[in-house]
Amino acid sequence: MKNSRISRRTVLRGAGGVVVGLPLLEEMTAASAESSVPVRAFNVFFGLGIPAPLQTEKFNGVLEPLKPLRKKLLIMRNVDQVRCDEDGINAHFDGSSGAFTAEPPNGDARAGGPSIDQVIRHARYPDGQPAGVVPTLIGGTFFRRSRLCRYVHSYNQDGTVAATIQERPRELFDRVFGKVLLSDASPDERRQRLQRSMLDSVVGQYLYYTGANSPLGAQSRARVADHLDRIREFEQRAFEMKERNPNEPQLPARSRIAHGGYADPGGEGIDMNLGRLTAEWRLMADLYAMAIELDRVRFGSLTFLAAGERLRIKGDYGYNGRKIFEFDDSGQRNASGAKGCSHEWWHDFDPEGTNEQLRAHAHMKMREVGYFLKRLDQTKEANGKTILENSLITVSTESGDGRHSDPQRELSGVFHAVTGANGRFKTGKILDVKAEGLDVYNTMLETMGASSRLGPPDREHRPVNSIRA
Amino acid sequence: MNTASSSPAARIVGFWMVCASTLQPVHASDTAGTRVHNGLLALYDFASPSGEIVADRSGAGKPLDLEIADPLAVRRREGSLEVHCETLIRSPGRAAKIAEAVRLSGEITIEAWFQASMGNQRGPARIVTMSPRGYQRNFTLGQDGDRFDIRFRTTRTGTNGLPSLSVRPKHSTADLTHLVYTRDRTGRTRVFVNGERVLEEIVAGSTEGWEQFPFALASELGGDSPWLGTFYLVAIYSRDLLAREVEQNFRAGADYRADVLLSEESSTGGDLFAAKIAPLISRKCLECHDSSSKSGGLDLSHKEGAFAGGTRGKVLAPGDAAGSRLIELTDKGAMPLGRPPLLNAEKALLRKWVDDGAAWTIDKIDPAVHAEPKRVSETWVQRLTVPEYVETVRAALGIDISSEAAEILPEDKRADGFKNTAYNLNVDLGHVGAYARLAQIIVSRMNVTEFARGYSDSQALDDDELEPLISKVGSQLLRSPLEEEELSMYKGLSSSVISAGGDFEQVVSYLVEAILQSPRFLYRVENQRGDGTAWPVGEYELASRLSYILWGAPPDSELRAAADAGELHNSASFERHIRRMLDDPRAIERSSQFIDEWLDLDRLNNLQPNKEMFPEWDPRIAADMRTETLAFFQDIVWKQQRPLTDLLNAQFTYATPRLAAHYGLEPKGDGLERYDLSLTSGRGGLLTHGSVLTIGGDEGSMVTRGLFVLDELLLGEVGSPPPGLDTTPPPTSPGRSNRAISMGRVESPACGGCHSKFEPLAFGLERFDGLGAYREADEHGNELRQDGEILFPGEAEPVSYKSAAAMMDLLASSSRVQQALTRKVMQFALGRPLVADDEPAIATIHDMAREGGGTYASLITAIVKSDLVQTTRTEF
Repeated sequence: MKNSRISRRTVLRGAGGVVVGLPLLEEMTAASAESSVPVRAFNVFFGLGIPAPLQTEKFNGVLEPLKPLRKKLLIMRNVDQVRCDEDGINAHFDGSSGAFTAEPPNGDARAGGPSIDQVIRHARYPDGQPAGVVPTLIGGTFFRRSRLCRYVHSYNQDGTVAATIQERPRELFDRVFGKVLLSDASPDERRQRLQRSMLDSVVGQYLYYTGANSPLGAQSRARVADHLDRIREFEQRAFEMKERNPNEPQLPARSRIAHGGYADPGGEGIDMNLGRLTAEWRLMADLYAMAIELDRVRFGSLTFLAAGERLRIKGDYGYNGRKIFEFDDSGQRNASGAKGCSHEWWHDFDPEGTNEQLRAHAHMKMREVGYFLKRLDQTKEANGKTILENSLITVSTESGDGRHSDPQRELSGVFHAVTGANGRFKTGKILDVKAEGLDVYNTMLETMGASSRLGPPDREHRPVNSIRA
Repeated sequence: MNTASSSPAARIVGFWMVCASTLQPVHASDTAGTRVHNGLLALYDFASPSGEIVADRSGAGKPLDLEIADPLAVRRREGSLEVHCETLIRSPGRAAKIAEAVRLSGEITIEAWFQASMGNQRGPARIVTMSPRGYQRNFTLGQDGDRFDIRFRTTRTGTNGLPSLSVRPKHSTADLTHLVYTRDRTGRTRVFVNGERVLEEIVAGSTEGWEQFPFALASELGGDSPWLGTFYLVAIYSRDLLAREVEQNFRAGADYRADVLLSEESSTGGDLFAAKIAPLISRKCLECHDSSSKSGGLDLSHKEGAFAGGTRGKVLAPGDAAGSRLIELTDKGAMPLGRPPLLNAEKALLRKWVDDGAAWTIDKIDPAVHAEPKRVSETWVQRLTVPEYVETVRAALGIDISSEAAEILPEDKRADGFKNTAYNLNVDLGHVGAYARLAQIIVSRMNVTEFARGYSDSQALDDDELEPLISKVGSQLLRSPLEEEELSMYKGLSSSVISAGGDFEQVVSYLVEAILQSPRFLYRVENQRGDGTAWPVGEYELASRLSYILWGAPPDSELRAAADAGELHNSASFERHIRRMLDDPRAIERSSQFIDEWLDLDRLNNLQPNKEMFPEWDPRIAADMRTETLAFFQDIVWKQQRPLTDLLNAQFTYATPRLAAHYGLEPKGDGLERYDLSLTSGRGGLLTHGSVLTIGGDEGSMVTRGLFVLDELLLGEVGSPPPGLDTTPPPTSPGRSNRAISMGRVESPACGGCHSKFEPLAFGLERFDGLGAYREADEHGNELRQDGEILFPGEAEPVSYKSAAAMMDLLASSSRVQQALTRKVMQFALGRPLVADDEPAIATIHDMAREGGGTYASLITAIVKSDLVQTTRTEF
């Protein structure tokens, strides 16, 4: 385990030897000057899910990659998200929208309510987070993008996205560590001062439109308040952080996988080299983890593939030095287009069968989720625990059965795992919670000190006390 | 006053009616005799003929009743109160609801119907006042001899509301008078006497310093300046009434009774069926029990069918839930068949509805109306989209920033079918950085001195010279006059620049840079606060709505001038601007954005067909397809001004030689050319464009294409496949065409219920492959057909067609398709998904557009004239 002190010249070494450089760290770690351990909450989502029967195999099956972290995780089985179903069997979208919100979607770019990380954020930091902290960081590697709730997993109170998702490592890097360059980047102090005055005047207007005398309604005020938060962040970066030293390490290399519209040509899926995908995932995980370690981020989400993702993956997959599987979705399915994608293994799931391909895919995703979690387990904080132990990290997915054969079954048994959140939740256990996701989440929120709850306001709260420490 | 015909008020209104040509025309929808009540804070109609209390009958919040200090000093009749001796009629406590509402809104209207006892009262004699003593006030309407004197406190006046406004009416101050004072947030103040605007000027400052003073009539505390005369009506609003609304209140007369208004409001009670039951039936029952499915002979989509019952008898017994089979089956979970049971709350709702008599208040339940049960009407401030930002900069400053904006600004994401959906127009750090950077680029490209010369000849840096410059520049760039705080803020910025040694050019540069990043520039800021009802939008707000809907750009100088003059709520003036703006190229560009986003033409940028299936594919054809659709749309909508439904069956298209060859047409010319398709088999109309056909993927999926027609053109709703089915389509093979595979689903008992509703909609497109090329046999030699049938949602029987052209004709003549196009254009115009509350407005707009020929222009005209654009749903 590393020491908690972070080197000034810390560099990230992403998979594939990509070197990620950081600008000066003193400015960036201003928030971490707090003596206490900050409250943090992150949602980690992976696409397609783990069928409920495979979750009963403890760490001997697809959950094997989480075994090294088992003492720091609470695995929850039998979590039911059926209320998220919207009349039908294609629960990719519904289940994905319900992950961390426990509500069905409200429009194709909007969740049915806030996600747990944002509820905690507003409960614990009602007056905003310390300067220098990115309010919410949403990152992820995803390809299928027909509906936003498939891949974004952090939502405001009104169900709108809590921040723009950063899908390329460079974007994520810039969002967290980027230095804002104003005009000609002149060191002219007078120019800087005037720029600041100008920004002050801009901020004044935003304050007016978010204040008590604003002519705007509640939702609009919240929208403008979000904008104001971003301006303050912009100000902080523009004026309070020193210029980046040109000798400092540089941005990560450009992504080598498809992004944007190219990543989703007509919903037919794309070919994907496993090595490239893994390299991208790890780089994103490294960057996100570093952002947390440097206390630049306390809330947000990280996505490992969209819900219902369609990839035709090819490549050898190994774990702990042993070869697990040779991916060749298209070849093994003898199909091209959407029908040749790994997604189809979930449709073919057979509780009595070997499900070899599905197992390999799920195992591989757990390896990558585990990689991210392990990164957070490398840094100890002031209380002697690691970031992983101190944070609330919720891992979940879209369904508990991908066959689209029964909405009750599909949205029941949705895999969930949480960390201890600084001693608030049990760890080192696999629990059959047999509860609705809504009750699990609300119990988590209550335990984290948030007074507001998810779901319909008139619904009786049924606490799941078995998860509390 | 007993009757309107005998009252002085009625006489003066009658007189006005004769002279009506001197006043603003009244909106067609207004009805003489009704008063404006949106924004009403307090209303005194003096209805009680006796007593010591004058009741506030506004119905707004806690009544602010007034006490008559000396009842012997007044004579009360039903509808009037005569003050014949000095006395004070005042609120016993502070008039908090007026003070707080006006402080928040920054707007007010003070209205009074009265007749002075004498024409020479001075002081000014306090008619209506909000003041604790003679030298301190929020406002006072007073009489000063032959003038009316109005004091109004702002942050720029003294605490006594001085200097006052002075108005000399055309007639004697002792005549029956309707006096109205209005002021908006920007300080624009108007005074109306007997419905006619007699004064308009800016009273600078805000109402931020207003205090909770008592409200009083006929005098004020201290009693130094009493007024004698008769009150007929006094009203206070928390907004500035439009000129036409002032006129409306004037026409309603002095003898108005508040209980008329109250009864009007109370008559609109809740409608459980429309609000709750119809959506529930739509979502849970109609999949099997609509007019076409009619499972068990039961059609629950309309009243007649629902009460007639099915093959096993009646299912509804009004007033007797326990005896209703529908309740019995849903209660025990037997229905919906094969779907999750109703929630307990839903079951309880159904039982209550039946027990209460099963009132069926709408003719037919349309699933399209209830598609999104959770959706309620929401008011989001609209951020400018990237194209709107570019156009706003171009219009305001003459700078083309399109390439930089495309590069720097984060892309707007499509939500619910369009990129301008307000709820999704959020902002991240990338936006803030981009706005800052773009502002710098824009200013660096400007000739700042020349720009400033358009607003002021002076380049002096003193406050007196800079203030009007800032005010004019701000007003121009921010699309309405600056408010007091804004002016102060920008003056502060200019002071900072000057104190740092900045010159005139730098002052203006920083000013413009700041304005370009302000919320009022980046968002379409409107007043959304009020009393929870729909308020008419202000003149500048209406100007902005009109220009962004029609052009995606800010109001031009003519529109601004109309807003300045308060003319936009004049229907003739408004129509003139609509016609003028529809003739502008920006209207064409805006309409192109609509079709581009609706059909998601960006999708074509990423088309990557399977190389084995389409070895000849040239990626440039994807761009040509987009060009085709845009050119075709512009031809129909603008060149020929044909009904929008002609998009479905117009017998021509545009193509490059490359695309023409791909389509099997004889290429001509070097670039985009118009092709007559009247003699071409199969192709013709939007659905036969490659841009649309490619939605079906490489295989030309009938499911996807059919669902597109159902969702986007027929407003149909189908659920997902029922559980337990293998949804993997088998591949085509010799003897098994796409149609044969599709028919397998349509004829399947398990799938056919839904698939019969949409897959046949794609049968007419069978001869078009995944990339839109026309062929009559597939790669296996299977013959491809083009006949099929359309089951229009809500109809019991499908309609057959023999060819693609016949299918297009059916769609083009369908009222359902007309309605769908109305809804799509409306959604884009409003920047939000439509909700059930919009239905009355949708129907009005649709009918109006049809009367106008069903063209894009007639539809847009109907939209901007509708309540959805003319009003804002306010929040408390």
